[in-house]
Amino acid sequence: MSDALLDIRGLTAGYGDVPVLTDIALTVGAGEIVALVGSNGAGKTTLLRAVSRIIKASGSLRFLGEDVLPLTPEALFARGLVQVPEGRQLFGRMTVAENLMMGAYRRRDRAGIDASLAQTFDLFPVLAERRAQTAGSLSGGEQQMCAIGRALMAAPKLLMIDEMSLGLAPIVVDRLLDVLVAIRGQGVPILMVEQDVFAALAVADRGYVLEHGRIVKAATAETLKSDPALQKAYLGSDS
Amino acid sequence: MLLVQILVNGVLLGGLYGLMALGMALVWGVLNIVNLAHGAFIMLGGYLVFFLFTAGLDPLVSLPIAMAVLFLFGYVIQRSLLNLIVRSALLNTLLFTFGLDVVLTYLAQLLFSADFRTINPSYAGANFSVGAVTVPVGRLIAFAIAVALALLLYLLLERTRLGRAIRATAQNLDAARLYGVNPAQIYAITFGIGAALAGAAGTLYGIVAQITPYIGVTLTPKSFVIAIIGGLDNPLRIVAGGIVIGVAEAVTSLYLGPTYTDVVSFGLLVLILVLRPAQSLKIA
Ligand SMILES: Nc1ncnc2c1ncn2[C@@H]1O[C@H](COP(=O)(O)OP(=O)(O)OP(=O)(O)O)[C@@H](O)[C@H]1O
Ligand SMILES: [Mg+2]
Repeated sequence: MSDALLDIRGLTAGYGDVPVLTDIALTVGAGEIVALVGSNGAGKTTLLRAVSRIIKASGSLRFLGEDVLPLTPEALFARGLVQVPEGRQLFGRMTVAENLMMGAYRRRDRAGIDASLAQTFDLFPVLAERRAQTAGSLSGGEQQMCAIGRALMAAPKLLMIDEMSLGLAPIVVDRLLDVLVAIRGQGVPILMVEQDVFAALAVADRGYVLEHGRIVKAATAETLKSDPALQKAYLGSDS
Repeated sequence: MLLVQILVNGVLLGGLYGLMALGMALVWGVLNIVNLAHGAFIMLGGYLVFFLFTAGLDPLVSLPIAMAVLFLFGYVIQRSLLNLIVRSALLNTLLFTFGLDVVLTYLAQLLFSADFRTINPSYAGANFSVGAVTVPVGRLIAFAIAVALALLLYLLLERTRLGRAIRATAQNLDAARLYGVNPAQIYAITFGIGAALAGAAGTLYGIVAQITPYIGVTLTPKSFVIAIIGGLDNPLRIVAGGIVIGVAEAVTSLYLGPTYTDVVSFGLLVLILVLRPAQSLKIA
């Protein structure tokens, strides 16, 4: 029906028997940056877990035209659905270079891996400078760059980033947002999950607002940015 | 001069101690399992090579065979049984490996009898002199192989794709899984490598000492102590830890008598737990 890369309809998911998410509809198309925003505990991370098939879900979930609801997380990862997890989850005592190579763990195409590495260092020159340093010794912003770089090394067809801005100075967030635009420019669409609503909407094409496990608004980023209710609810985040 | 001789003996034996601890430390660090059957694995390796020796095979030829057999043994145990409880409470894995230790020791006694066995190729008893110091060839070979295996393990962990995956799994299981690592397989391979190292240690132990079904009783705790001293993530430091224990035992044996050597490891263990409890608990 739709040619969206990721197509979620009527999705319900949760932990155990209590549903956290109800009747979710969300799409990400080719070349798009889509923002999923909402306050603490709204269910944003839960949605990413459901999409990655880590937790039980029912409804319709299609990725690249395929029904992926019955698949395992490994199978989805193999199809190019790659996540930058909340809290970065780096391998702290391994070097930056080793962390990046772990992103390419499942790949065997030497030339392709080298190309991804060059592309990653191109987007984040600081990672090239610090390639021999342990990931745990990086600054917060550099760690987030390393986490995004590691995901790029997996050759994603869709990149899902959870709470990229958490704990980072606004200037660092701006720099990372520029990189997201560059990544999208290289043909990788992005689903970004953010509490920092206006940071996310600054680069997104479209956005969804999640509240108590339901999508309460879906619109273009322009529309959402000027939405009075949203401005009131998330006041003070950005301009 | 006697002291120099004692130190040489201690260092050479200590290398082998380090090799014994290597497998235990690897498994402990990556799987968070303290394998109480580790000494029994060493014992099995020793018997295997002993019987191959009586069939005419030089122990240095049998060593890789023992490693391969023990690797398979460890891999299968982990894959079939231990993976079911690997991330559960420490007590479960302790109970399981304790049970395994009891069973293996009992079977060895049943099948191999409680007789002392020694693997003694011609070079096992040979010596040469450097000045006034006598160097036992058997121990020297054991030391060299122990150091070489530690180096190989270091290179495997630091320089290969498999090694990266093993370390990544140890450091952040969720993230490793997120990027396509299959932990059940990594755990089984790691446990297999730990058992293979025990097999190598058993081979060399049989050359420098005597094998009985009960050697695990002292070798397991000795490996445990050395793993704590050396830390869990650097094979070369663990061999250094083995040398510390080897020298401490040799010196104790000289000044207090050989009956006190086993007291050394446990004395050191208690001392470490008292002086640096936070550090050792973090490891555990
Ligand atoms: N493992 C879990 N088991 C049970 N309930 C959980 C689990 N993880 C999250 N929840 C619950 O699900 C709801 C949504 O949590 P979720 O982590 O998806 O929120 P979020 O929108 O990502 O919040 P944040 O912005 O704080 O990251 C919360 O009520 C939370 O308590
Ligand atoms: Mg979250």
